Amino acid sequence: MEFHALHDTPFIFPNDAHPVWSIMIVLYPYITGMVAGAFVVSTMYHVFQREALRPVARLAVVTSLCLGACATLPLLLHLHQPQRALNVVATPSPSSAMAGFGFIYSFYMLVLVVDVWLLFRPAIVERARSAPGAWKSVYRALALGVLEITPRAAEIDRKLIHALSVIGIPAACILHGYVGFLFGAIKANPWWSSSLMPVIFLTSAVVSGIAVLTLLYLFLCRRSRMEPDEECMRSLSRLLWMFLVLAVTFECGDLLHVAYEREEEWHVIRELLVTKLRFSYLTLQMFIGALLPLLILPIPAFTRFASAGFRRACTGVAAVLVLVQVAAMRWNVVVGGQLFSKSFRGFVDYPVTWFGREGLLAAAVVLALPMLLLWGAMKLLPVWPPSSESESGVKT
Amino acid sequence: MTSFNDTRHLWALGAFLAAVGLVGMVVRRELVPDDFGRQGPYRASALADVAARPSLFQADATCHACHEEVQHERAGKPHEAVRCAHCHGHGVEHVATARRAAEDPSVSLPPAAPWDGDFLTKLDLYVTKDRATCLACHTAVVGMPADFKKIDVAVHLEEQGASEPLAKDTCFECHGGHDTAP
Amino acid sequence: MSLFELPIVTSGPAARCASGGCATGGCTSGGCSSGSAERASETSRREFLKTATTMTLGAMSLTLLPGAMAGDEVPAAALHPGGPAANKPMYGFLIDTTKCTGAGKCLTACRVENGVPEGQARTWVERYVHFKDGRVEVDLVPEIGYAASGEPQPAAEDVLRAYFVPKLCNQCVDAPCNQVCPVHASIKSPEGIELVDTDRCIGCGYCVQACPYGIRYMNHETNVADKCNWCYHRVMRNEQPACVEACPTGARVFGRVDDPESEISKRLATLPTSVLKQHLGTLPLTRYVGLTDEVT
Repeated sequence: MEFHALHDTPFIFPNDAHPVWSIMIVLYPYITGMVAGAFVVSTMYHVFQREALRPVARLAVVTSLCLGACATLPLLLHLHQPQRALNVVATPSPSSAMAGFGFIYSFYMLVLVVDVWLLFRPAIVERARSAPGAWKSVYRALALGVLEITPRAAEIDRKLIHALSVIGIPAACILHGYVGFLFGAIKANPWWSSSLMPVIFLTSAVVSGIAVLTLLYLFLCRRSRMEPDEECMRSLSRLLWMFLVLAVTFECGDLLHVAYEREEEWHVIRELLVTKLRFSYLTLQMFIGALLPLLILPIPAFTRFASAGFRRACTGVAAVLVLVQVAAMRWNVVVGGQLFSKSFRGFVDYPVTWFGREGLLAAAVVLALPMLLLWGAMKLLPVWPPSSESESGVKT
Repeated sequence: MTSFNDTRHLWALGAFLAAVGLVGMVVRRELVPDDFGRQGPYRASALADVAARPSLFQADATCHACHEEVQHERAGKPHEAVRCAHCHGHGVEHVATARRAAEDPSVSLPPAAPWDGDFLTKLDLYVTKDRATCLACHTAVVGMPADFKKIDVAVHLEEQGASEPLAKDTCFECHGGHDTAP
Repeated sequence: MSLFELPIVTSGPAARCASGGCATGGCTSGGCSSGSAERASETSRREFLKTATTMTLGAMSLTLLPGAMAGDEVPAAALHPGGPAANKPMYGFLIDTTKCTGAGKCLTACRVENGVPEGQARTWVERYVHFKDGRVEVDLVPEIGYAASGEPQPAAEDVLRAYFVPKLCNQCVDAPCNQVCPVHASIKSPEGIELVDTDRCIGCGYCVQACPYGIRYMNHETNVADKCNWCYHRVMRNEQPACVEACPTGARVFGRVDDPESEISKRLATLPTSVLKQHLGTLPLTRYVGLTDEVT
């Protein structure tokens, strides 16, 4: 049986011709997801005592902080009145899901900044004493002028870091679950409206965080001619596989539910999937980005097949594919949801542009900036775990 | 057993964060408009701002205030419901000038210009005796209600023996604009 | 010809009627007793909308708009004989799809009145054509009308039925666009009309996404959200919205639903009406005569 909308000539509402939300709104959940995901990895070590993750635990929080510092950038680039951005915290509307962003984001960043500060205070203090010239005062300022760490202070900090990591878990969940809610709570759009959206966003956020951390670890090890820790890589592979299974399950489950129930606008969604989103959803998000890594990851995660180098390569390839998967998922949600008119009688195009505030080049800059920040942070702070307890004084 | 030395860095951190928070609160105060929330969860003067927009579309009553004869001419006729603006433009400047002229005899009203064939955005006044303005409404189009006066122009003009069917003023050979009875 | 014999709502009279003698004339004129059943259901619908508005608007429901309205305010007792002093006007919009001829006069009127940029629209008119072979095609009435546009037209003999559906803001009582605005730049006016505070809007576009009817747009000239506001500025001067003023066939009716003598109240009392996308629970104030389920 055919649905009338399929063989009618298309009709779109006049105001639906140009999607309002651009590639910047694709980047926003992409980056925020990595923020939350990378933090979750650090809590695996700090809270859940996964000792194998010690080599990346510090890197994880610093990465999360650098990504977090850039998370508002795509939003600012998207706003049509960016100079009024602070209205969101000046006169927030309690009924708006979006108004929560200022507060949730601020709280999360507060937790993260304090966490990082306490974590790196021994190193900062040490460098404030030993660094040459002007750097001395930089580290002094970073230490907020307190250049002394008593054993008791180290003990207090250790407990505080633990507490902050514990608080950080729900904070990260809220931060990204909330991003999913932004879309899931729009009843006008059947491609978005779903109570599973927060969970889908959250699981794929963790996936992208683990993947980006894995790649960073591999890259940094190669650059400093270090052998990546085998148990750490195994642990990352397992985490990645597990959360990818969860993410894909939720993503498929949501779609299958709409499809099987033949919910009211299923005919539009089906048409969307087989035409406009055929490549980005079916090929990228489901096949290349999900199925392949799900098949590859068990090798490094659960076997001793071939050499450690081969298994590392497997993890690396899978991590790249997974990052593509999450990017595609963000694209399919944000852009895909705007490719049909609310008349449900026609589709529109999203013109990808190179230049301009919301073009591909600006997007590339937004993605590169956190990495640049990370590079700077690594100059400033030691992201590798201290080799002896003497340097740190706290369990890091 | 915990001395001030052990928590000094936390006090410093607390002071730093408090300072940041304080700056934030001052900035936030500055960003809230004075009349925000005075009568509802919004900037109260926004209502007046929206309401201050000028009315551009002239109601027929405005035109009839001066052009009483047209009102009588149209009274009870089929075209009573057709708005002055449909054939004569928005006339915003015309009405404004007319109001000034009523108070100041030295102000003169320029005559209306002929219609240039553009259906859109006519802020000033024009006169039209153009079949296009008639056919804009009266050309038979699928979707019109059954009881609406639709015209198949070619058939109608042939039936009526129009001398020049394509002439601009062909409709006005038989019909008036205000009183359309043939 | 019968179409043109209908009483047409013109600017002043309908709205001003309420402040003059006709509101008090009320039921004695005879209309009330003959249609008491419809009147009763109509009243309960109004009561419901009123309650819903009150709940939604909370404290601001009792406040009045300053300035323009104050002088023309209707005495509460005249409209609500037994009720509390709910002395804020309640407006409604009625679209009669059986009267629209697709001339497009409302479209230009709106664009000029509100400075709507090309390519965007506060109001538009859709045409639904049901062909005899079962197809349903929908298109937009061109602003200059079909005749001047020169667009190819379907042949009348292939068409089973066809009708025009004007669209404009539904002024939902529970408006999703208002709900999602993060900065209170979406305003539900005390009269229940949804407005945009162009000085506060940050241009995030969330309201555009949230409106199920595609009414909101990001004005590409002002770079803030924009929407149909029933010509709030005109209504505050006791004038009719520009599209209503421009409609020669009475397909668009605007007026006070709390005045039983207004044109809209009379039509609502006698015609069965419905709203768009009712299942979304937005409670639109714009009501339609002759909607079919093809209309989205």
